[in-house]
Amino acid sequence: MAKLILAFNSQVIREYPLTRESMTMGRQEDNSIVIDNLAVSAYHAKIDKVGGEYILTDLQSTNGTFVNDEKVVSHKLSHGDNVVIGKHVILFVATEEEKLEAEEKEKRLPLDRTMLLDTAKQRELLAKQKVAPPTVKLPEKVGVISFIDDSGLGEIKLTKKLTKIGKAETSEIKLSGLLMGATAVTISRRPSGYVISFAGGRTKLKVNGSVVKDNVPLSDFDTVELGSYKFQFYQKEVKSA
Amino acid sequence: MQIKSCGMTDVGLQREGNEDSFSVEDRFGLYMVADGMGGHLAGEVASRVAVEMINKSFSKWSEQVVPLDEIFGFSDESLSREGNYILGSIRLANRVIYEMACDYEQYNGMGTTIVSLLVASGLIVAANVGDSRMYLVRDKRIERLSKDHTIVAEHAEMGVMTEEEAARSPLRHILTRSLGSSENVDAEVFEITPSSEDRFILCSDGLTDLATDEEILHLALKETDPQRLCRRLIDLALERGAHDNTTVVTVFLGEVEKKMEASFGRLGVVVADALNGASRIKRKLGL
Repeated sequence: MAKLILAFNSQVIREYPLTRESMTMGRQEDNSIVIDNLAVSAYHAKIDKVGGEYILTDLQSTNGTFVNDEKVVSHKLSHGDNVVIGKHVILFVATEEEKLEAEEKEKRLPLDRTMLLDTAKQRELLAKQKVAPPTVKLPEKVGVISFIDDSGLGEIKLTKKLTKIGKAETSEIKLSGLLMGATAVTISRRPSGYVISFAGGRTKLKVNGSVVKDNVPLSDFDTVELGSYKFQFYQKEVKSA
Repeated sequence: MQIKSCGMTDVGLQREGNEDSFSVEDRFGLYMVADGMGGHLAGEVASRVAVEMINKSFSKWSEQVVPLDEIFGFSDESLSREGNYILGSIRLANRVIYEMACDYEQYNGMGTTIVSLLVASGLIVAANVGDSRMYLVRDKRIERLSKDHTIVAEHAEMGVMTEEEAARSPLRHILTRSLGSSENVDAEVFEITPSSEDRFILCSDGLTDLATDEEILHLALKETDPQRLCRRLIDLALERGAHDNTTVVTVFLGEVEKKMEASFGRLGVVVADALNGASRIKRKLGL
């Protein structure tokens, strides 16, 4: 069985066999490996067994986790890896069998199969340890357009994935004007951010003064003109539900 | 709107079975790629069930114009009707695969990714769960219309890992979401408006593991028909060892008309500009 050797100032403190599917390291007493040192976070890092491999993950610790002098977020442990947490060093020692197996696997492309993270198991474990899940949710941002003309439309949040702007009754934002298209402009939310597209009608679309005939990505505080309408785009943080 | 499409799959050079499935349905403009996982044919079953279920429920709901409160699960107000049909169909497929995986021993632990493209009138809906991707090539640029549900992609989004580190990480194949692994699933859904000459590429990770976004863009710009593009992308994966099944679906749009309802000529535009100006002045004066 693989094991971890905890050392401080070149002094071996203890050995820990990797018996469990998941082991955590940190200052709090309910960790599998307790390291009582101020440089160590309450729940600093963990090691999961995934398909015969041991994966080290930093639990967004304050001072970081290092493997062989390199800062890591997640790392597949190999025999002889030096994991540094604060001033403590943890040496990862694989068994002969595992070493051979790992070499074999290396030849067959390691972890090339798609696997699913066992979230149920992970969640259960985290609940037991009262640790916030390592995947902290980013504050959700939502686009807002703020009319800076004299239309009195004010601020409108872009709550839809695709916001249609135009004369049609079905538009999310209805604008008037003889030459306004039924759908004149659309703003879509994509993986890369918000994009504004010209959709139709005879009213020109301008972003920061240049005419747009197709699409252009929107950045915070871009100014958009559509005929006599003028608005500014920006993104606002919202509390995720 | 004219649509040309093609789908191809290849078992690759190292796998014995093909667990990928794809679907090309020009009738309702629905295109999909699914990458299954789970041993003993279970992966193949999961990906096939996903594609078939989604085709079936989407076509049924859209033909009958089913009200949104009758689809599977709650409707999402940020999405169009079509977007909700897709979202509901993916949820339904997830539930079916999940229950099969629970009920039959040979299907325990099976799951699949899904990436789907809907081309409707004036609307494109892109949806995905897992790490199969969709790309849009427009104005000579490539853009992802899907979000990878992997540990590394989430790390990259949080900013604790760069995109390059994520692409090289040994953890890149570990999914955080898939169809069939839990009772409910959230799909990533994006909606955009189509543009003339848009080219969409849906693919399994057999391709994206071995080719960069830039390489895919380069081929997508060079090839003029969807069939040749599929072939070239799969050949690229094969040339590089194809350690996994590789599946590609390509969809090329023709001319997308931008409606110019106001059918004035040049003169009309001048008149209308003047009218526009007049209405602005009127508004300023508070009339």
